[in-house]
Amino acid sequence: MITLEGVTKVYRMGKVEVPALRGVDLHVDEGEFVAIIGASGSGKSTLMNILGCLDVPTGGRYVLQGIDVAELDDNQLALVRNRLVGFVFQSFNLIPRVSAVHNVEMPLIYSGIRRDRRARALAALEAVGLGDRAEHQPSELSGGQQQRVAIARALITDPAILLADEPTGNLDTESSRDIMRLFVELNREGRTVILITHEPDIAAYAQRVVRLRDGLIVADERSPAAAHVPEGGWR
Amino acid sequence: MSVLEALRVAWSGLAANRLRSGLTMLGILIGVGAVILLVAVGNGASAAVQQQIQALGSNLIVVFPGSATSGGVQQGFGSASTLTMADVQALQNRQNAPDVAAAIPNTQGRAQVTYASQNWATSLTGTTQDFPSVRNYQVAEGQFFSANQVAADAKVVVLGATVAQNLFPGGQDPIGQSVFINRQAFQVIGVLAPKGTSGFTNQDDFVAVPITSAWAYLLGGRNTNVQQIYVEARSQQAMQAAQSEVTDTLLQTHHISDPSQADFQVLNQADILNTASQATQILTILLGAIAAISLVVGGIGIMNIMLVTVTERTREIGIRKAIGARRSDVLLQFLIESMFLSAVGGVLGIVVGALGAAILPHLITGLTTVVSLPSVLLAFGVSVGIGLFFGIYPANRAARLNPIEALRYE
Repeated sequence: MITLEGVTKVYRMGKVEVPALRGVDLHVDEGEFVAIIGASGSGKSTLMNILGCLDVPTGGRYVLQGIDVAELDDNQLALVRNRLVGFVFQSFNLIPRVSAVHNVEMPLIYSGIRRDRRARALAALEAVGLGDRAEHQPSELSGGQQQRVAIARALITDPAILLADEPTGNLDTESSRDIMRLFVELNREGRTVILITHEPDIAAYAQRVVRLRDGLIVADERSPAAAHVPEGGWR
Repeated sequence: MSVLEALRVAWSGLAANRLRSGLTMLGILIGVGAVILLVAVGNGASAAVQQQIQALGSNLIVVFPGSATSGGVQQGFGSASTLTMADVQALQNRQNAPDVAAAIPNTQGRAQVTYASQNWATSLTGTTQDFPSVRNYQVAEGQFFSANQVAADAKVVVLGATVAQNLFPGGQDPIGQSVFINRQAFQVIGVLAPKGTSGFTNQDDFVAVPITSAWAYLLGGRNTNVQQIYVEARSQQAMQAAQSEVTDTLLQTHHISDPSQADFQVLNQADILNTASQATQILTILLGAIAAISLVVGGIGIMNIMLVTVTERTREIGIRKAIGARRSDVLLQFLIESMFLSAVGGVLGIVVGALGAAILPHLITGLTTVVSLPSVLLAFGVSVGIGLFFGIYPANRAARLNPIEALRYE
């Protein structure tokens, strides 16, 4: 479902070329829960941007559900982001001064769906346990609640992959646990989840941990029984 | 994304910054208001001038003397005194000018008219018995002077309605009374019906005396100058024929064979109207252009604010792009936002301009304003156009933002 073959990404800073990815091969099957872990500067954000079709690789191939992303133009990339990818960010990235339900509805607006938009958004909020906060604005919600709204927004178009970039980075321990449980639950329902983090205990929720260093995959470990409670508990 | 959806998004963006949106709109409001108001003033002036010219009479042809040369310097047109009573008589001759219904001389002066303790400064018209028919005046009381009275230099006067009201304020009958015009006693034989104000001129504020009496007693004696000749054509259709007859007759009486050497000028009402409306049109265009500058300044204000807005909402744009907004969606959102600002500003400006045009004539006497529908539509169209024009650059900048960088923006 996701195949990366020799993906490279080189940033140009003036005349200097900075390689961020030096040839990444990765295959993710449907229903997997993969954590991509690495220190800052390891290239994991670049990989996330490429996986999320926010950016295109400099070299190599990225095939998402049979679509070669390198061949897509700007509008088609927007369409892929809209239909096939659900983003969850570290800083929630909800649109301010817009109610929770309207935030969740937003991807449907861009996909041109008119019917049942609001009902679907309400159902998605219900599914993340925020049915009673639909009319609240992001500033009236706690961090954990905002992240749930973001997850509801990511799921509304029923995407092929759920991409989470440090989703617990701005949350306290308890909210982090809640959010990770939500991801585990979503994965159990068959959702493909790719999680990007630098914290091993967050990565421990995944069935598979891919370790990045200096733009290369240095380890790819599968733990058949996913650790739903990390060893040693929470910090 | 539908336009309706974009409108909703634009509205929430504008509502979030009410003061800023309001001030931006104010720029366009003032611009559009100024255009509407000043064009209304210009149109009002041109309507007033047209009314004034039409009020001169119907099917009217005016003969002006040519320009005089004084010490080798050509004076303005109308400065010479080449028209005489003989010209008027020649024009009244049916054989010379069969399409002319009547011709009257006109000589103007200032007059201080006194009666008992009342006195009134007004203008004096020296003319002949056909004045009421040529200039469309009705005699309300008494009668106009006759051909005999003109021939006899009779010291008789016909008062305009305004003069009559001011000299005889108690409702006294002016007919038969003796008034002093520039210290000469004249007998009032008639009062004209009011014709009303035309533009800046009160058409009822004058006195008419036989031109011969004006020459003899009021304008310095030796002067037998005719300032203009008003000629009434038989009908609208006969205007052109009458005009050429007038020209031919006067060339003959002045012994001029080459028409280009004519020492007089024959204008019909349409000519005068054209000249006058050209002048007032230039006035209108000038006023509109000055106002348009403020509209452009308002547009630049919109552009400025939209650029600030785009920068402020960089992150929001990144989010929207990440969840699937295309460039065109972002472009549309910001374009609609700027057009909304300018359109609302434009509508308010039209209201303010129209209100101003309604109030202004009450504050400044003699000023008339005419709000024309084309100027309203144009101002609204231009304001929306300004929103579009000055919104394109900021909106395009928003649409071209790289989503990754936009998401990283703090």
